[in-house]
Amino acid sequence: MSSPFKNEKNRLETAAEKLLSYAIKSGAESAEVCGSYGSKTKIALEKQDYHLASSDDGYSLGVRVIKDNRQGFASCNSTEPSELKEIALRANEIAGFSPINPHYQIKQGENIPTEAPKNLMDPALVDLSLQTQKDWTRLMVAEATKDKRFRINEGAVEIGSSISLILNSLGTHQSETDAAASWSLMGMGVEGDSITSFDYFSHMTRKAAEGADKIILSTRNFVEEVLRNLKTGKSESYKGLVIFTPRAVLDILVSSLAYHFNGRVIAENIGRWGMKHRDQKILNSQLTLIDNPWLRDRSGCSSFDREGTPTKPVCLIDQGVLKSFCLDHYAAHALQLSSTGHAAGGPSSLPTVGTHTLCLASGNSTRKTLYTQATESQKAFLVVHRYSGQSDPVTGDFSGVAKGAEWWVNGEKQYYVQETLISGNIFEALGNDLVDISKETEVIDCDEESPTLLINNISVTGG
Amino acid sequence: MKHISELLEKTLAKSPYWTEARYHRRNSQSLSVQKGLVKQAKSNLTSGVGIRVLVDGAWGFSSTSDLTADSLERALKLAIECAKSLSQLKKAQVKKLPESHLAKGEFKISGYDLLKQMPLEQKLQAVLKAEEETRKNSSLIQSATCVYNELFEDKVVITTDGAHASSNLARSEIKLGAIASKDGEMAESHESVGKTGSWECLFSKNSLAEMSQSAAKLAVDLLSAPKIPGGTATLILSPAMVGLLSHEAIGHTVEADFVLSGSVAKDKIGTQVASPLVTLSDSGTVNGIENTGGELLVDDEGVLTTKTTIIKNGVLNSYLHNRESAAIFGVTPTGNGRAWLYYDEPLIRMRNTYIEPGHQSLEEIISSTQDGYLVDCPLGGQADATGEFMFGAQKVTRIENGKLTKMFRGATISGQAFEVLSTVDAVSREFFLDLGSGYCGKGQPAKVDAGGPFIRCRATIGGVQE
Repeated sequence: MSSPFKNEKNRLETAAEKLLSYAIKSGAESAEVCGSYGSKTKIALEKQDYHLASSDDGYSLGVRVIKDNRQGFASCNSTEPSELKEIALRANEIAGFSPINPHYQIKQGENIPTEAPKNLMDPALVDLSLQTQKDWTRLMVAEATKDKRFRINEGAVEIGSSISLILNSLGTHQSETDAAASWSLMGMGVEGDSITSFDYFSHMTRKAAEGADKIILSTRNFVEEVLRNLKTGKSESYKGLVIFTPRAVLDILVSSLAYHFNGRVIAENIGRWGMKHRDQKILNSQLTLIDNPWLRDRSGCSSFDREGTPTKPVCLIDQGVLKSFCLDHYAAHALQLSSTGHAAGGPSSLPTVGTHTLCLASGNSTRKTLYTQATESQKAFLVVHRYSGQSDPVTGDFSGVAKGAEWWVNGEKQYYVQETLISGNIFEALGNDLVDISKETEVIDCDEESPTLLINNISVTGG
Repeated sequence: MKHISELLEKTLAKSPYWTEARYHRRNSQSLSVQKGLVKQAKSNLTSGVGIRVLVDGAWGFSSTSDLTADSLERALKLAIECAKSLSQLKKAQVKKLPESHLAKGEFKISGYDLLKQMPLEQKLQAVLKAEEETRKNSSLIQSATCVYNELFEDKVVITTDGAHASSNLARSEIKLGAIASKDGEMAESHESVGKTGSWECLFSKNSLAEMSQSAAKLAVDLLSAPKIPGGTATLILSPAMVGLLSHEAIGHTVEADFVLSGSVAKDKIGTQVASPLVTLSDSGTVNGIENTGGELLVDDEGVLTTKTTIIKNGVLNSYLHNRESAAIFGVTPTGNGRAWLYYDEPLIRMRNTYIEPGHQSLEEIISSTQDGYLVDCPLGGQADATGEFMFGAQKVTRIENGKLTKMFRGATISGQAFEVLSTVDAVSREFFLDLGSGYCGKGQPAKVDAGGPFIRCRATIGGVQE
């Protein structure tokens, strides 16, 4: 680890150990401390201009205690012993009046497998000068404003470093350092009276050497995508085939699907599937979904979870068959299984269940084939790129505005549509209504990955 | 707070530039119960100081959680260094901040002490009971949740040009959810309320028991409700839906930073943008309604909050400003500079955003509607700089020949906000602010409220195509 963070790591470790000790002395049977230190410098853009430069760092520590099957939690952003004592007492006080729940668990963590990603911190990124960060911001602004029709509403280039730490009274002690450069833009296209929707993108890299090139390329792609939306028209209303590009697949379909893999949802029996569905076909046999925390270039990369459990790639659906759920220790205890390393959250929150980096596997057809299939079946159809709307994970129903959607007639793209609503149901869309999956996949916002999907029986309401 | 004020004053005395020092201490508690089990019971304490400077026309910012003179001085130096590094790049340099109604003194919203004195254990008992009552309302309720959150905010804002305000407020919210199930069909409903003030404030309109009953009934009713056919329709929007429209689809387009980026409201001051029946405001306090969820007396730039009439009788009247945008537009700041935590810089944010009430009763509006829908219980939504919006609604009831008839499953409504507001032909005298449990997201969260009367308009409703 780079020397500038040695002091910070020592301070965090010392504070975490003190907090653990205070929690046990205050009456906890077992206790777990989650801590972090983060530092960042940011150059922010606003209103087509440079807006603000900032520099911050800080600590965060949270303690979870269990006493007589009762749980309490408190957190603070200080390493001062007086505040650590106060939150240790507070956590025990909350546990004292909380009802009994036998599924609360603090367990000893296992060793992290050798294949898991290590050393996520690139020293060159940690040592990056403010001048280089300014240069990168200049590159982003220059690329974004090459075409005068693009307007920057806001954006930022940020260099951040962090230390994450989990330790508990049963001997778990995991720590991880990370550094990333991230950049984002929110803007729109303006040409005469034509204004596009606001659009947003974010991107990141963990390698300093890649920063400049990636900033230019990702900004160029984003601006081109926004400006394409200046030529707009109306779609017709119909029920039938719709093409969902990777971002739309992830936003509309996969995000809601993730609810039903949440082990706590399974344990409470409030999802669509349960233990009896394991190894059963639940969705279209073309679908394979994997949660992979070991992809170093993705923002969800991590070698251990919020409870210190080592992570690993988990196949959730294999060719339409339910293979696994996402489990933290709570859900695992309730279902009499083992944690899959899916405890999510940070020092100021209790562990919940979350996914790392969901990857929907590619299909066998080219993307072009999907468009050909749609053209052969329907005179006109919609291609959805982004979505702004509601997806009810419980029922699977979704309804919202298709943003930046393309209207195709007789196999030709006509224009982009505004005020077009789409609705359907994710289980039907990923079940019998799924027609085909492309072999090409895309990584969205440096995290999740998906191919393009052709889906039938989607309701489209033109504005 | 006196010790903190002195510490901030000493730091500011060391700055040769315009400087703002903002101390913020937040103590938050959160309780969450599902199916009789406590899912979350937690407490968080966050405190620190954010220092913002204006050097050679550019902003610099730094923050620290170490409340010592040395640490604050270090943060000041870092902020100055950041601003200096940016000043060569910034095109539109901030010349001088405008005259403002700067706050001086102590500002406290009632209910803070009462909410703090009430033991967390007592709040947990109420949350457990509410969740249990929701489940027991019907055998069809498969699961219920009840979530309670509270924030105690203590702030001191001092600027080198004269603001010196300390403030305290407490915000709380309670959210109930129910999932009903029958023959493999599932339906979900939500009820929520959020206020600035004591525990009792939360239940000034409906008791917790009534909220439980309402959430359970809606989930059960939705089980047998059909999906709505899509198309353009006459809609009567409830106060909560009007709040969503006012905040998301209008409010954001008139935030001066969005305006400067080219939002649809740019260059429209003095233009008729809505029906003459529409007057829309954003304010730190609302006449006749106490303890709104977005209540605010002083913003995070030390400016006193004022009522801003955004649309007056259909004509666009004002944008929402912080100190910087007010300087650019040559107007007085409206007290909309808000920061979520000490390490966030103040951005232009709304407070309580609402359409002013009219003169008709809801009953009169329904009885004069031949064919349409009453849309209620928002599920959230988004809007664009173009004013194009999309809102979800849990409950949509058909109106036929002046009478409420069949209920439909939740739907999405969409349109261009100013076009939709131009179609408004009826505004009720019933008036509520119902979105106090909501948070606005703009890089950082902000606690806001919104509402208004029932209004009748035309918009697209998204549903099923046959």
